[in-house]
Amino acid sequence: MSVRRSPKLRPAPWDLAVIFAVLAFALACGALVWGGGTEGLTAVVSVDGVEIDRFALNGSAGERVYSANGYALTAAVSPDGVQITASDCPTQDCVRMGTIFRSGQSIVCLPARFILRLEGERETNSTGVDAVIG
Amino acid sequence: MLKRFLPLLLCFFLTACAAPEPAQQQLVAMDTVMTFTAYGGDAEAAVEAAAAQMRALENALSRTRPDSEVSRLNDQGSGTTGAALGELLQAAVHYCGTTEGAFDFTVSPVASAWGFTTDSFQVPRPEELEALLPLVDGSAVTVEKTGDAYDAVLGPGQSIDLGGIAKGYAADLVADYFAASEIEHGKAEMGGNILVWGTRPGGGPWRVGVMDPARPNENGALAGVLELENAYAITSGGYQRFFEQDGKTYHHIIDPSTGYPADSGLTSVTVVAQAQGRSEPGKPGNGTMCDAYSTAFFIMGEEKALDFWRNHQKNRPYEDAFDLILVTENGRIVVTEGLAGRFTPDAESGYVCETVS
Repeated sequence: MSVRRSPKLRPAPWDLAVIFAVLAFALACGALVWGGGTEGLTAVVSVDGVEIDRFALNGSAGERVYSANGYALTAAVSPDGVQITASDCPTQDCVRMGTIFRSGQSIVCLPARFILRLEGERETNSTGVDAVIG
Repeated sequence: MLKRFLPLLLCFFLTACAAPEPAQQQLVAMDTVMTFTAYGGDAEAAVEAAAAQMRALENALSRTRPDSEVSRLNDQGSGTTGAALGELLQAAVHYCGTTEGAFDFTVSPVASAWGFTTDSFQVPRPEELEALLPLVDGSAVTVEKTGDAYDAVLGPGQSIDLGGIAKGYAADLVADYFAASEIEHGKAEMGGNILVWGTRPGGGPWRVGVMDPARPNENGALAGVLELENAYAITSGGYQRFFEQDGKTYHHIIDPSTGYPADSGLTSVTVVAQAQGRSEPGKPGNGTMCDAYSTAFFIMGEEKALDFWRNHQKNRPYEDAFDLILVTENGRIVVTEGLAGRFTPDAESGYVCETVS
């Protein structure tokens, strides 16, 4: 009966190359997903649950005017994010929400039933929670 | 052998960290923003069905839409209702009774006098409130099931507003969709209310922040963080809707016994209960209960709310058990024992946290 011996486990240069390639790929994915800036973000605008506009934040600088349930809302888009700068709704909560710039953030106007939401690769949350109630 | 598979193992572990992509729907309904997120099972179908159900519910329950079932009932004083309004009315009558009127869905004539239903805020004259208070009596409303429909009769001059309970009922319906679609992880955010389903997609409990009622304008300012799985958490607070007149703040939670905004010493009440195991899908469940009780306890105040909780724990089955987080005006957070270890006060909030049994 012959005993088969295990080969010596010594990494070859190509093994190390593969390991570094995998690590570099993982880091690149991480930078893409969790990195700062508004690149890769898409603004999705809906009224009454129906999507009426969709644009990439990068390269869309300027103003966009929306009509929603009798109200007019003006959105200003810049490399820093997007905000509602003017609305003739009674509450003005949408204007007070200020600039949003991260995936998952929304500007909502309840009277106009208007939602502008930023979508990206992955939603992040500055408070480290999954949701806030109150 | 190892050197051949090491890169593959690395690939596996490095990519396994990413959570699966969720199905998501966001909409404005019932005067709030709702966001439904689901992972696993038939997630897309579940969130779409839930969103469609919310729109249908709003059409039936809106007090401001003239063609809603609630508006028709308020106009005519009696009538036949569909299942959703009938079931919800029965639940509203029930919780009005269990809370001895602290939760009362017939307080709407008084809320209208304050302008909370129209956003035309004003402080009503005392004699106006005195004239309206006799109309506030949920026990005068009768609801009977007749086949697939319900017959509802209001007392003379009464009108109803189910805003204090409807979003909890809506959360119950979302839980039904999540269960039917075999959702593994999910959440339904509905204004101050949340349903969390299963664990977080990466494992472990969902982390739910409870807004600090003393700092409502500071983005991300929390009283603390709750760790929950399969649960409803529903909050009522006076900071959510209010107006100021002559230097005084008036919030929207009206005490049915006085006609004035509740002044009980509490600034927010969160009620937490289990979100699984309902034996009758489509019926009001723990979400509805949490919504009604969060309003009632805000009105009752700390002492009465805790007495109610202790009595309930003794006499009710486990499925209906609930726990509380009470935030007080004098800088305390009172947590009932079922949440011990699951609620962490925020260090920056400055509250003193105590657990009660």
